[in-house]
Amino acid sequence: MDASKGRDEVFIEYTKSICPVCKSVVDAQVNIRNDKVYLRKRCREHGEFEALVYSDAQMYMDSARFNKPGTIPLAFQTEVRDGCPSDCGLCPDHKQHACLGLIEVNTNCNLDCPICFADSGHQPDGYSITVEQCERMLDAFVAAEGEPEVVMFSGGEPTIHKNILDFIDAAQARPIKAANLNTNGIRLATDRRFVAELGARNTPGHPLNVYLQFDGFDERTHRAIRGKDLRDIKARALDNCAEAGLTVTLVAAVERDVNDHELGAIIRYGIGHPAVRSVAFQPVTHAGRHLEFDPLTRLTNPDVIGRIAAQLPEWFRVEDFFPVPCCSPTCRSVTYLFTDGDNVVPIPRLLNVEDYLDYITNRVVPDYEIRTALEKLWSASAFMGTDATTENLRSAAQALDCADACGVNLPAALADLTESAFMIVVQDFQDPYTLNVRQLMKCCVEEITPDGRLIPFCAYNSVGYREQVREQMTGVAVPDVVPNATPLQSILTRSPHGSKTAGDGHTVRIAPDTTNVGHKAVRR
Amino acid sequence: MTSAEDIKSCCAAAYSSDAAALLLGDSYHPGGAALTRRLARLLSLRPAQRVADIASGPGSTAVLLACEYGVIVDGVEFAEHSVQRARETTERRGLAESIRFHVGDAERIPLAGNTFDAVVTECAFCTFPDKAAAAAEFERILRPGGRLGLADVTVAGGGLPQQLRTLAGWVACVADARSIDQYGAILDDAGLRTVHAESHDDALIRMIDQIEARLHLVRMTRKNLIAAAGINVDRVLEFIELTRDAVANGLLGYSVLIAEKPGQG
Repeated sequence: MDASKGRDEVFIEYTKSICPVCKSVVDAQVNIRNDKVYLRKRCREHGEFEALVYSDAQMYMDSARFNKPGTIPLAFQTEVRDGCPSDCGLCPDHKQHACLGLIEVNTNCNLDCPICFADSGHQPDGYSITVEQCERMLDAFVAAEGEPEVVMFSGGEPTIHKNILDFIDAAQARPIKAANLNTNGIRLATDRRFVAELGARNTPGHPLNVYLQFDGFDERTHRAIRGKDLRDIKARALDNCAEAGLTVTLVAAVERDVNDHELGAIIRYGIGHPAVRSVAFQPVTHAGRHLEFDPLTRLTNPDVIGRIAAQLPEWFRVEDFFPVPCCSPTCRSVTYLFTDGDNVVPIPRLLNVEDYLDYITNRVVPDYEIRTALEKLWSASAFMGTDATTENLRSAAQALDCADACGVNLPAALADLTESAFMIVVQDFQDPYTLNVRQLMKCCVEEITPDGRLIPFCAYNSVGYREQVREQMTGVAVPDVVPNATPLQSILTRSPHGSKTAGDGHTVRIAPDTTNVGHKAVRR
Repeated sequence: MTSAEDIKSCCAAAYSSDAAALLLGDSYHPGGAALTRRLARLLSLRPAQRVADIASGPGSTAVLLACEYGVIVDGVEFAEHSVQRARETTERRGLAESIRFHVGDAERIPLAGNTFDAVVTECAFCTFPDKAAAAAEFERILRPGGRLGLADVTVAGGGLPQQLRTLAGWVACVADARSIDQYGAILDDAGLRTVHAESHDDALIRMIDQIEARLHLVRMTRKNLIAAAGINVDRVLEFIELTRDAVANGLLGYSVLIAEKPGQG
């Protein structure tokens, strides 16, 4: 008998995840197959699931070097009881503090996009938080962080909340270093007085950045992702922001074969627009509402980085992007560049970023001040236009000092350029298919809930916390949202908010982990 | 203050002898810290061993070797300001016990003979006018059984092709770089036997990328000064492109070479 048949994959991690249908906690494996990284798991009830998590195995393995030891927050909000991801959060087992806190101020939206991880829209059963609730959420954030780096207001659509300016004021009245407003831009395009109010709140000690949804330039892109042609709206919103002195990040939800051909054009446009200082690309999070997708061919960070390099070869290469060390390094990659509008010089071409941010190889770092600056730049808390980021760019430029050797004082020359530096972020959020508890436990982007918890963003979207909070806030039952994945089509039905849910309609609560804890290893 | 005159002298330096220093700063050499670590592993450095770093620049290699391998380092550097800077860095890090710097010439190294377990020299041998003398000095200061770790630019066996000879004027390292066999022969004449050689051309490409990025930056930030100095950045960028092609075609490279002084330590 020939017993020598080999496996076609390399087993690299054993972790936990959830069943994307019933959200029970299950064991999971990470494997490398054909130079790509996959997560596979099995639910007792619903069978086996597999999803692509990183399309470049070499980059996945290399990124481990960029994993920074976490920081312990000042306060935890929950206890360890059932284990990750059932105890959010943050529980004392969490490995990182919050670089960024999100406050969703409402569930209502003036759009009903086909793609919306928050499952928002024109809905009769939503909720809006009050000023008092917002203040409590901000206080919880301050209690956990002391002086939090960044709070982001999101929704729903936060600009249609009648108290949104009060919320921003409340954030700025606290020791929170920067605020962000996440928006589709409709109100920014149409209400210049509102934009002026935002501009007035963007002050040197209290920067306010606009995080503008911006998916591309083709009408087809807009219709597929937003259900409407919003091209004029986006252009007007940006011009109004420029006029009001607001700094803008363009945020693109990227879906395979929808707008993944437009990444270079978005960067080029952003570099050319006076209001725009950064672009964030997010492969579509297959939580909430989204188009049908195949989990085995979904877009991941290396796909996005590869497309950027392919679409703008005169400016970028794959090697210009480095993993962010504060969270799990495969979650987010970033590059910075200096530009005068025509020329682009990515910072990693100027200095050896890995000499500072590789925590495994380096026992000696050339300059610890420069490492600190780079750590703050390669972080989820970094936003362009803040004093901190400008200062960190200046410090990083010290690494380019060759004045002794040649008389050209590059750091001084760069001081002029830090004002026009530009940031590109590639962020893959986890979904019910891809969720890996190892990554989740070091997440540094947290949803602040009205009851004062700080829940890792990907747990909030994927595990069932979003449904739990909405149910608590509205008193209306919310079924578990199930990804609109091709292999699940036969069991999916439409939920009241447009997302998908499992056909039998029953809601399964987050199950305590019974797969590998709670009983003796060997039962006799 | 950076003046047009500074830029001019700076870029004149680029055309004559000092290109790598011009745009990379003196703290960089191809391969960076990673290649220094590779060199250290190939030399099997052990704690408390004595290492001489010839052309030690601002001391980053000395610091890395002392901190990560626990060796005692003597750095020798021709440029006095670099030695000054290196001493300040060392002092600041509390490493004065294990690292010393000396102003000196590779062809007359101010260190005692038969003393060192290892000699390290990175991206510097190619610039030494009298390579035989430098090699003899390495041999002199090494103890019997001690090893030289050399990382340097290499050219193909037949020397530089015609198209690159114009380049030779401005890239000092290229100008007097040799083939790996020629380096081996020079060391052999001095009594150092090559025991290992490996290629690291990617490190050179990375350095060329850095030079190019810095040139773009200088152009972006100091456009007027460069114009006033009559520097043609595009032409320099063309040279850079030629150099990159030369690496891709195997005419230029970067190599690590380990050579041993015979005898028992």
